[in-house]
Amino acid sequence: MDYPITIAISIAIYTILAASYNLVLGYGGLSTVAHPIFFAVGAYTAGLMAVDFPEIPAFVNVIAGMGTAVVVSVLLAGSSLRVSGDYLLIASLGFQLGLLQLIKNLEFTGGPGGLSAIPSTLVGPMRGPAFLAICGAAAVACVFVVRAIVNGPYGRAISAMRDEELAFTALGRNAMSMKIAIFAIGCGMAGGAGGLYAYYFQYVSPDQFDVLASAAILTMVVLGGMGTVYGPVVGAVLLLAIPQAITFLQLPPSIMAPMQGIIFTLLVLAFLFLRPAGILGTKGRPI
Amino acid sequence: MTEILRVEGLQKRFGGIVVSDNVHLTIASGEILGLIGPNGAGKTSLFNLISGVLKPDAGSIFLNGNQIDGAPLYKRARMGIARTWQNMLLFRTMTVLDNLLIGPRDYPGESIARLTFDRAAVRTAEAAMKDRALGILTRMGLEQTAGSLVVDLPFGQQKLIGLARTLMNDGDLLLLDEPMAGVEGAAYETMQRIVRQEAEAGRAVCVVEHNVSFIRDLCSRAVFMAQGKILQDGTVEELISSSVLTELYFGV
Repeated sequence: MDYPITIAISIAIYTILAASYNLVLGYGGLSTVAHPIFFAVGAYTAGLMAVDFPEIPAFVNVIAGMGTAVVVSVLLAGSSLRVSGDYLLIASLGFQLGLLQLIKNLEFTGGPGGLSAIPSTLVGPMRGPAFLAICGAAAVACVFVVRAIVNGPYGRAISAMRDEELAFTALGRNAMSMKIAIFAIGCGMAGGAGGLYAYYFQYVSPDQFDVLASAAILTMVVLGGMGTVYGPVVGAVLLLAIPQAITFLQLPPSIMAPMQGIIFTLLVLAFLFLRPAGILGTKGRPI
Repeated sequence: MTEILRVEGLQKRFGGIVVSDNVHLTIASGEILGLIGPNGAGKTSLFNLISGVLKPDAGSIFLNGNQIDGAPLYKRARMGIARTWQNMLLFRTMTVLDNLLIGPRDYPGESIARLTFDRAAVRTAEAAMKDRALGILTRMGLEQTAGSLVVDLPFGQQKLIGLARTLMNDGDLLLLDEPMAGVEGAAYETMQRIVRQEAEAGRAVCVVEHNVSFIRDLCSRAVFMAQGKILQDGTVEELISSSVLTELYFGV
């Protein structure tokens, strides 16, 4: 795998994750941390289908990953979106950890060792650029879908729901079904990103979908600007590019490893104090 | 006058506190009913029971002859129950016009399917709703505030926006929870005029209000509540002159 192309593909995939998480958290006001688990559901669905049914075309499997993520997200939403705020945070965390444990302990998912030997759909020297084109197009499409949802009448209703759910409901709006719709769309996108990930990297391991992944996506959204259309894109690029920039400094590995953590932490702290609305955020807005 | 709302034997308790004790009430089209009583009498709770924020323990509620007590809050709003809130609950991050545009009961622009496949219908509806919203703002003399953030308006105007948003709902029944609290001057006059006009247009209006002169100016009939019970139902003058009620209410 060509290294710069792999980085670019990661940026595209994380752009999808950050943009869809921003739809759910930044616009919908649904404080879930379980976003990576829908990424996992999509990755495992597409990966398992690719391993077990090699005759099915790849794009069908990616769409199946998306669909499974939507179904799983509606299951979680139906039971836990009745609570909000801190309660939803805890419920989503429990859901994420529970499902991860399940994946780690099932045999057909590959257990803790992960799912490997996912067949490569594309071969040859153009594999990387072709994947980059597909993932890039998917990322652009996701950002535009989010933009279409949050602008115009639907976005206005989402803002109203986030501002005052009771008044919104008493004006004849079904806040619950709107939340489920936002959640399902966001999680479906994450599932699609998972499918792309499985096909490109040909290996999926449960550890990459844990709470650290939640923190990474959250940091992208917060740094870029929560509740802005392009903020998550900026966040994804920055958070994936900065570690690469550091490698050019040619520091010894003993310094490099802790450096990344320190820089991320400093970034988050600096933003919390200096620019809480993120790079593209205009002013502090309540979540 | 046609009957819009009928409440029969409404019962609700929270633990040991009875907020609604065998409440019977009817409101007719064109009527402005004043709902008065001391704090904690169950006036706002009655609004919450009628609009569907709370579920009654017993009793029934009819709107235009249809029993509605099984329907959730948002469905009752679609059937025609429009209410305001004591603390307004305006959409803080939005403009005045956008606040009003959430008001209509049914709105094609808020369905993703229609937004995707029937954009023409959405545009038509959007334009019609904007016209209606600006019409209501103009009646209140607030048309120049349409583009302002709602939180930037003075308190009295925010109260009016709360009413305007509720009027966008176009319900047959208007429940107004303390519309005059903290409102004075021009906004006071406007509030009175609009409420009167809405009743004249055939809506049934119920007002919870501590401002007795507002009730006296506006309401033909009033109901006095205390401890979840309706103690008296009559003309405003009858209620105000009743010594038992004045003692309960004003503590004199």
